Amino acid sequence: MSQAFTKSMARNIFYGGSMFFFLLLLVLTFDTVKSLPQTDNRENLTAQVAKGKHVWENNNCIGCHTLMGEGAYFAPELGNAYKRMGSKEAIIAFIKFRPKNGIPGRRSMPQFNLTDDELDAVAEFLKYVSEINNQNWPPNIQG
Amino acid sequence: MKYTSQMVAKPYFIAAIGLFVAQILFGVIMGMQYVVGDFLFPEIPFNVARMVHTNLLIVWLLFGFMGAAYYMVPDEAEAELHSPLLAKVMFWIFLAAGAVTILGYLLVPYATLAEITMNDLLPTMGREFLEQPTIIKIGIVVVALAFLYNIGMTILKGRKTVINLVLLIGLVGLAVFFLFAFYNPDNIVLDKMFWWFVVHLWVEGVWELILGSLLAYVLIKTTGVDREVIEKWLYVIIAMALITGLIGTGHHFFWIGTPGYWQWWGSIFSAMEPIPFFMMTIFAFNMVNKRRRQHPNKAAVLWALGCSVMAFLGAGVWGFLHTLSFVNYYTHGSQITAAHGHMAFYGAYVMIVLAIISYAMPMLNGRKVANSMSSQVVEMWSFWLMTISMVFITLFLTAAGIVQVYLQRMSDDPLPFMVVQDKIEMFYWMREGAGLVFLIGLILYVISFFVGRDQPEAQLPK
Amino acid sequence: MKMNKLTKVIKYPPGDLAIWIFIMAELLVFGLFFATYAVTRIDNIELFEQYQQTLDTTAALWNTLALISSSYFVIRSVLAVNANQQPQAYRFMLLAMLAGLVFVVIKTNEFAVHMDHGITLSTNTFYMFYLSLAFFHYLHVILGMIVLLVLARNLKRGQYTVTDSSGLESGASYWHMVDLVWLILFPLVYVM
Repeated sequence: MSQAFTKSMARNIFYGGSMFFFLLLLVLTFDTVKSLPQTDNRENLTAQVAKGKHVWENNNCIGCHTLMGEGAYFAPELGNAYKRMGSKEAIIAFIKFRPKNGIPGRRSMPQFNLTDDELDAVAEFLKYVSEINNQNWPPNIQG
Repeated sequence: MKYTSQMVAKPYFIAAIGLFVAQILFGVIMGMQYVVGDFLFPEIPFNVARMVHTNLLIVWLLFGFMGAAYYMVPDEAEAELHSPLLAKVMFWIFLAAGAVTILGYLLVPYATLAEITMNDLLPTMGREFLEQPTIIKIGIVVVALAFLYNIGMTILKGRKTVINLVLLIGLVGLAVFFLFAFYNPDNIVLDKMFWWFVVHLWVEGVWELILGSLLAYVLIKTTGVDREVIEKWLYVIIAMALITGLIGTGHHFFWIGTPGYWQWWGSIFSAMEPIPFFMMTIFAFNMVNKRRRQHPNKAAVLWALGCSVMAFLGAGVWGFLHTLSFVNYYTHGSQITAAHGHMAFYGAYVMIVLAIISYAMPMLNGRKVANSMSSQVVEMWSFWLMTISMVFITLFLTAAGIVQVYLQRMSDDPLPFMVVQDKIEMFYWMREGAGLVFLIGLILYVISFFVGRDQPEAQLPK
Repeated sequence: MKMNKLTKVIKYPPGDLAIWIFIMAELLVFGLFFATYAVTRIDNIELFEQYQQTLDTTAALWNTLALISSSYFVIRSVLAVNANQQPQAYRFMLLAMLAGLVFVVIKTNEFAVHMDHGITLSTNTFYMFYLSLAFFHYLHVILGMIVLLVLARNLKRGQYTVTDSSGLESGASYWHMVDLVWLILFPLVYVM
């Protein structure tokens, strides 16, 4: 084969190409962070919402549910739970009255023994998430 | 084995295999919970089992990478490891941290674990794959730094091969991008976005460098093909991996509150992500076909070739299936995602670690180059059992996902999540069956280390 | 690498195989981008036609000329090396860079005008495509300029000879790719 194929050229392409596309990723990331206020519903990000996010995290909700499609696929999508269930009260009631020992033969959400304030916070968090503009995902209310 | 310090790899490999077994046990438990909802409830709720399953995977792969580095780097650098003692100390620290974490998950409620580890000081817990308490995350950074120091010093003082340099870049990237795990803003969109800087830039970025480097090493060792040839292809493959994979991050930014343009950027670049995996397959088979010598360790060659094929199928093909934004709109967060995740992790990362273990373990156990034939036969059986059952797990989950997507998201009368889950129960049963076969394959794999120990090494046919 | 004869061995494609793998990957990305642009345009024909009017066609035309002449100078540079006239090759390479610089200046100015108007990737679908394509290509021009800079430095040092010009040909091929992409981008996005 008369075609040259050298290690140094391959190396240059690896370093040059990777740097190039890494910088491009940084540029696009920068643009995204700058334009997030238009979509991420930050005007409604209250202290209670922030607290709700910690309740969400501290109880590992992502271990069963998805939130905007990310997480585990064992239990329903919750990014639109506020819209699906209709109100904060419905969400709070659902979490609050989970049977401690589950339901025979079926999947059941554990009883997390949340305080009333924590329940309110996590419901507030889910309401906030449901109002994020995420390009109309999921396709319908069933998530 | 040329350098005695390579021996430190052995405990890392043993720990990796042990944690692998535990990971699969929890996988089987979760598979059962998918069909018998109250299985082990409330003692081990699904979220705990899943956390254990995924965290064990990450930890044992890291053990595997570290062991691989400790074995390979001195050999490539033609120098003893900078500090075998540091490697040994770090092994026990990492193992202890891992064990404490897993026990924490299993023994106390997650909220309690968050409380006693003072998560509120620097909240990083409760995000998928990054569930470890903050103090453990700091520990991981410390171990990673010590490890990088040890490896880096060894590489610096010795022969600087491309394989070592690529591995080092991959490992440094692994440590650097892990730092995003400490960024957890209240804004969920920012949180999710930078969470992918750990997860995506790991598995579809720097880990591919580690994968490429380890694969190249095993191929050089087992085929005897000219280093120059292997190294230049390694460069081209990892270049393609990063060129496509960096902007490919965008395929995670479709539906999490980030701007709409990611649908275009993400789709176009991630559509090209199969290319490096395809090149890797062609590369591996080409090198084996052009081999200058037969290697008595048939099992290692089998793992290396299998890795290149399964990585292409799992990461390349199954990734491509649902990466275009107009497809992903319907498949996002469904069982199709799970199908892809299983085969991609198994094909790309599990198999490369098993390949390097298969190559290195005989030497670490005092053999010259290979295990006895009877041991290799058992190991190759385990290869086929695990690989084929993983193919079936993937196929069943894909089938479940297609029905799920149709019933829940595409039909005229979309059904609720749990109603759909009941309707696809059959696929979950079949997946659990395939999972049990995988476990049998894994048990066989462990057994292979104890078979034919007193028999002579496998010889090449004269 | 050095061959023991003075005549040039014509190989095809010119340059290093590695650069061609890279060029193919780049063309694939641009190809996919162009294809999605074309398909999306059909669905949003009015929007696209309306906002295409806002683009500066004159500037783009000058840029087309700049890149074509730059490519021409690069060819002359390669030919000069083949004719064993390294100093001339170096001068042609400088001219090529100058023409590339013209492109960068004009294009930067265009982007500045858009930014003044508050136009971003999120403004509408047309601007998303226009800015993505134009900016992505713009970054390629800058990368290409860096490549030309390295080639010029090596030419000055006399590193390329009749029998060993693979590096030069590789860089030249990459620059032609950048030019070629613009020759598709210009009519597709500005004119059609």
